[in-house]
Amino acid sequence: MSGVGATLAINARWEVTRLRRSQRLWLLLIPPVAGPVGSAIADLYLKIPSQGTALILGLLVTGGLGALIMLDLTALAVGEDLTLRAHLTAFPLPQDRTALLGGRVAVVWGGTLGAYAIGAAGVWVLGGALVTTQPGAVTPLFPPSHLLLALPALLIFLGGVTAAAAVITRAAAQALVAGILAGVLAAGAASYFVFEHQLSAVFPVGLAGIGIVGLGFALYRYPQLEA
Amino acid sequence: MASEVLSLEHLSKRYGSREALRDVSFHLAAGESVGYLGPNGAGKTTTLRMIAGLTVPSGGTVRIHGKDPSRERADALARVGVLVETPGLVPYVLGEDLLDYIAAVKGVPSRHRATAIREAARQLGVEEHLARPVGSLSTGLARRLLLAGALIGDPEILLLDEPTLGLDPAARQDLRKVLSDLRRAGRTILLSTHLLEDVQELCDRVLFLRDGQLVGDEPVERVRTDPRGAPLRGLHLRFIDDIVGERLRSLLGEAGTVELDGPREATVYFPGDERRQAELLAAIIGAGLPLASASPPEPELGRRYLAKVGREDAT
Repeated sequence: MSGVGATLAINARWEVTRLRRSQRLWLLLIPPVAGPVGSAIADLYLKIPSQGTALILGLLVTGGLGALIMLDLTALAVGEDLTLRAHLTAFPLPQDRTALLGGRVAVVWGGTLGAYAIGAAGVWVLGGALVTTQPGAVTPLFPPSHLLLALPALLIFLGGVTAAAAVITRAAAQALVAGILAGVLAAGAASYFVFEHQLSAVFPVGLAGIGIVGLGFALYRYPQLEA
Repeated sequence: MASEVLSLEHLSKRYGSREALRDVSFHLAAGESVGYLGPNGAGKTTTLRMIAGLTVPSGGTVRIHGKDPSRERADALARVGVLVETPGLVPYVLGEDLLDYIAAVKGVPSRHRATAIREAARQLGVEEHLARPVGSLSTGLARRLLLAGALIGDPEILLLDEPTLGLDPAARQDLRKVLSDLRRAGRTILLSTHLLEDVQELCDRVLFLRDGQLVGDEPVERVRTDPRGAPLRGLHLRFIDDIVGERLRSLLGEAGTVELDGPREATVYFPGDERRQAELLAAIIGAGLPLASASPPEPELGRRYLAKVGREDAT
């Protein structure tokens, strides 16, 4: 028998093992590598006129890659066992099922947010070093530092919606589709607010709130799922 | 009397308008090995799911060492090994990964974990397959791996649902030996199965389930005996024409019994050896009874299964 802390740790380790064996662990390298390198190449060859625009471009690339990884890994962490009926092995074990899911999601969310953070830091450093703002360059739509902080909120939103969908549908594939649709809605809403000049901190905070509620729902419902 | 480790009281389960289980009550004492028999859809798996905390009962209670597995899951299932239904396997993890995870959750200390995994895998004959991704294992090997997972951590109670499903005859025999050893070591076993021979060989007691209701709770008698405990020999007789039971009884004498299985079939039990059997057959033919064939009787448990739940699924 294990306590909640031990269950969290055991299942976090189990998730790392699964990521390693499935090779999905490599996905976490994409935002820190492809984000800064891709945006640096764009900075140099597209001759981005301002440092702010270069940073926004780089953060969007890094955040977008992070979002895809968040969707994929969350859908699988919550929904794969339910799809395969592998939960019939894990559920009768003497452990708290909320902690079971919490341990696995902690690795996926922590890994994705960490990967984004490293990638964003790379973009920030490279963008600052490679691009100089040209005189007369158009001012970016919003400060890059705001986007830097807003993108983790988007990742949390997507992860939360995907986790909730995985518990409801009991299928990783359907959860992934739900997460993608949620991402499209979020992008559409963000575009609307930008063009209406109404984009404020409320939007990302709201997204993060929805994501936390989604994860909370998943953690609450998961232990109640019947075989 | 041994202490009670598992207790079901008035357990019921309803799926919509369908009642899968109705008012089922039974108890298992420590060290008891109990067979749970019934046809498909009788409610065996539903019962085991509720004991394993996989399904919440619609009514009644389950207690494992006094704990409710649907509410106090970790405490109730701490010393229980479970194999219910046919769990899926995550194809890319290795067998040793899966067993290591199960051992860790069951609280096997890390310094003993490798030994516990090897021992469980050795018992089930999957030791050399531990380094393979589970998706590459055959159905039988995967089943044995899951059984090894159920045995890890030296569980006091084993809940096994069709454990020999998908196993070849040799593996089935190996598993019977493992379970037989565990039974002798004092483990409590609840074995849900279609295979009467598993119950006959491994269980002290048998529960019969039909249409979600418990219709029998009896000891497993391995050999039929006379009132003094001496073993009886049995013969299943088939005749060409209808027979009268009294004529058979008179041929057998007071020590024998006759059970009519139909107008032209009967099973007789009598004390004695092969010579006595030959004398009896000669007497039957000599008395002019139209004997068509004589064969060993259907196993006792099979006869009782058919009497309790009907012909469906008995193998």
